[in-house]
Amino acid sequence: MMKLEAIIQPSRFESVKDALREIGIEGMTVTEVRGHGRQKGHTEVYRGREYTVDLLPKIKLEMVLPDKLVNTVVDTILQAAKTGKIGDGKIFLMRVEEAIRIRNEERGESAL
Amino acid sequence: MRNAAKVRSEFVSTAARSGLPPQPPHARKMPGPAKPLNVLAPEVEAERQRIRANFDSGSSAKQTLHALCELADNILGLIFGDVMKIHEAPEEGLALLALGGYGRRMLFPYSDLDILFLFENEKTETEFRPFISEFSRTMWDLGFRVSSAGRTIDECKRIEEDNAEFHLALLDRRFLSGDQELFDKLDKRILPPSEKQSRSFLFSQLHRLTKERLARYGNTIFHLEPNVKEAPGGLRDYQAAFWLRQILGDRPDLRGSTAADEGMAADAVEFQSAIRCLLHYGNARNDNTLSYEMQEEAARRSLAVRDGIERSAAEWMRLYFRHARTLNRQLLRYLDQKMAQPVSLRERLVNVARSVTRPEQQVSGAHFAVRAGQFEILDQPALADRSIIYSLFTEAARSGTMLSRDAERIINYVVSHSELPARNQVMSWEVLKEIVAADYPGMALRPMHRLGILMEILPELRAIDSLVVRDFYHRYTVDEHSLRTIEHLQALAEPPDARGTQFAPIWKMQERRDLLIFALLLHDTGKGMPVENHVQGSLTALTSAASRLELAPEEEAEVRFLIEHHLDMSATVQRRDIFDPGTVSAFAATVGTLERLQRLCLLTYADIHAVNPEALTPWKAEMLWQLFVATANHLSRSLDRDRLHASDESSLLEQIQSAADAPKTEIERFLEGFPRRYLAMHSPPQIAAHFSLYRKLGSAPIQTELKAERHGFSLTLLTADRPRLFSTIAGVLAAWGMNIIKADAFANAAGVVLDTFHFADLHRTLELNPSEVERFQKSLIEVLSGKAALEPLLHSRESASRARPLKVAISSAVSFDDTASAHSTLLEIVTQDRAGLLYDIGSALARLDCNIEVALIDTEGQKAIDVFYLTSRGKKLEPQKQEVLREVLQGTIS
Repeated sequence: MMKLEAIIQPSRFESVKDALREIGIEGMTVTEVRGHGRQKGHTEVYRGREYTVDLLPKIKLEMVLPDKLVNTVVDTILQAAKTGKIGDGKIFLMRVEEAIRIRNEERGESAL
Repeated sequence: MRNAAKVRSEFVSTAARSGLPPQPPHARKMPGPAKPLNVLAPEVEAERQRIRANFDSGSSAKQTLHALCELADNILGLIFGDVMKIHEAPEEGLALLALGGYGRRMLFPYSDLDILFLFENEKTETEFRPFISEFSRTMWDLGFRVSSAGRTIDECKRIEEDNAEFHLALLDRRFLSGDQELFDKLDKRILPPSEKQSRSFLFSQLHRLTKERLARYGNTIFHLEPNVKEAPGGLRDYQAAFWLRQILGDRPDLRGSTAADEGMAADAVEFQSAIRCLLHYGNARNDNTLSYEMQEEAARRSLAVRDGIERSAAEWMRLYFRHARTLNRQLLRYLDQKMAQPVSLRERLVNVARSVTRPEQQVSGAHFAVRAGQFEILDQPALADRSIIYSLFTEAARSGTMLSRDAERIINYVVSHSELPARNQVMSWEVLKEIVAADYPGMALRPMHRLGILMEILPELRAIDSLVVRDFYHRYTVDEHSLRTIEHLQALAEPPDARGTQFAPIWKMQERRDLLIFALLLHDTGKGMPVENHVQGSLTALTSAASRLELAPEEEAEVRFLIEHHLDMSATVQRRDIFDPGTVSAFAATVGTLERLQRLCLLTYADIHAVNPEALTPWKAEMLWQLFVATANHLSRSLDRDRLHASDESSLLEQIQSAADAPKTEIERFLEGFPRRYLAMHSPPQIAAHFSLYRKLGSAPIQTELKAERHGFSLTLLTADRPRLFSTIAGVLAAWGMNIIKADAFANAAGVVLDTFHFADLHRTLELNPSEVERFQKSLIEVLSGKAALEPLLHSRESASRARPLKVAISSAVSFDDTASAHSTLLEIVTQDRAGLLYDIGSALARLDCNIEVALIDTEGQKAIDVFYLTSRGKKLEPQKQEVLREVLQGTIS
């Protein structure tokens, strides 16, 4: 099993979610986050006051996947989240040792 | 009960210390002559099933609860007696009591049995504790969830200040078994004086606990999936009201409830109890959430409804809310007895000031007055004239003062008795406008909704009254959501958290709150209509409401825009890249003007905020703000770029032509070259009025029109462009002591200038002296046409006026942008507002040979924000000129 973390543009979230649903992925954790990588922030001036946006709004998706689905999911996110501009985000993959469903204590991939 | 778990664990550990080996329940035998557990347990279970079957086949909740209570009483008595007998314990010195809901014989299928072991003294406590452990274990084995506490009789009369819940539960004490005399001693001799003495403590604790509980549920009964025990309007409200009644005793001011009130409360308790039984049976546990599935089930069964009418789940939920409202209203009435509702800092300050000067403030003759920070009715018969009631709501919205519970009760009586003759029942848009345009519209609209008055005025709201629309995110019914949007906006007067701070200035400076609040009232009405897209339904509701209330066409158009686009800003924030200039440009094209953008932004802020308490995350608020700022900047920077080509506006031309009866070419000549903002800011009738002024230019070269507005006056002036025009008008206004709040200046391709100034009449010169209006206009025309000099006027004003005290120090900024327009340089000035500022700036620009192509003047409190599109000799300003201008302006404004 792998844990996938994807940081994406908020504007791409609906497309990514729909694309994942199309390949049967419904379960995920979604968090509103702020941050920046190479895409730096910018400053807006409104009514004489400067508003510096140095941490840009992003969406973080987290999901744990059976090994056989990892490549498909990564490809799907890449396709749906990519605009080709700086700031499209990143995907991180981490190995997961165990998953346990609290309700019935199922373990392993069947708990996903 | 906080101590229950502790006591139970003490009992268990006492049993463990006794060294008895643990036995499986089925093998253990009841002491003495009782049946073995493995015989008794199935019998108890069979009785439970019988009670459930009766409930399923139509027994009332009251019968069900009594049957469950009787079963528990019998088994408790049986087991208690047997335990005592087997251990040959004396019958004196120990009594078993039921407390809380069980004490009141309201035992729900999966509720805990709250019981108290009452000991005569510490000696008997030590003797009996081992038996009690055995008793409790046996009850658990029989499927009773025992939650027990143990106290000596002396401990019961000592108030435990950190355990008010125990003392409150003790108010419902009921004898179950054991030493009757011991119970009687507690019940008749020990507790009454102790409870009397601690009345104030119990009241304040119950008040606190109840307020905390209500606040946890947003102080509203209107939840989509309510908790029928804990949420406002749930059974806990009934229980708390019951306790409050006991604590407060028979007070004359509480005797106002009628037999009808009592009957309604009894019906409500039966209704909510039936739901709670259904939930316990349906979920097989003490789960009191009335989920969507259980709402379906209750509606299918016509639960607690005996009128034979089939209802959808949404219709059945309306019955639920009606009963919840009864219980909640009853509770609030008791809660109000000693402590008024919390009031805002502003109200408190106002009330303190009032109490010093006038202990009671009477408003509208002697019909109502403010007492202890709330409106009270003084003259009940006068309420037959509805205009008196409406003026009370207007006062509430204006002052932010709430109606007392009694005032609401009296109004409710008057409006709900159709046999009482009512006068002036129709509320006009003018009156409603006063309410929705005020600083605290929610203070009036919420009680108006509670009393059914709002639905009389806007029957379109009936569609969403107590309406549950299933949605993963929304927490409240549609009408509650709509009222909350309005309350979130009025809270911006004193922003409660960082999310609101940025949006507060937009709300405070909002000129047409009436349109915004009216749009919020109607924006979701379509959710109660059989339409695919609720926005279309809401627009239909607007059409009927606007026609009945006779809104002006331009007012209806603004409200229509807000309703039609009420999801656009939220959708753009969530689904578009708001940092992409293309997104901002497209959104700016949708909104058109800064004024609309401000209203739509406030509406979106409130709409998201009212979905649920967590919906407007700081992240979302920031995104919304970023889109607002980017769009506002885009609108002011693209002002000069988007010019109007009259031939493209055929529909507008036709409208003006029909109003003005003039050749089309003449209208085209007038409109050609104005910035598009001019079109977006003015309705066709207003443009037609401007065109009429334009046609008179041949006879008089300066045309003016002065109109009174909510916050002052507006001056529209049309004339051929000339040097120093804008600064001269600003100078005349300053000389007359007028404070310019907003202004704009547009020129068409033929060089005709249309300037509009909105100003506050600081000394009420024009307001109090109608004859001065003519003199003011004459003075303006004389100065503009060179027949009179401006300087002497200004000089006399300077010597007469005093500088306004600074409330907030604003740091000044002067910035230029050459990219905003193809042929003008944009100048933005932000500085401290003061009398004559615009004149000084305009004069400085004129001295340096700068022509104002477009001007956009705004004020935010004491902050002036002025945007000018400038040219010099028909071109953008050279960099050197910009530097000189910056230096001159900094000297002027500092």
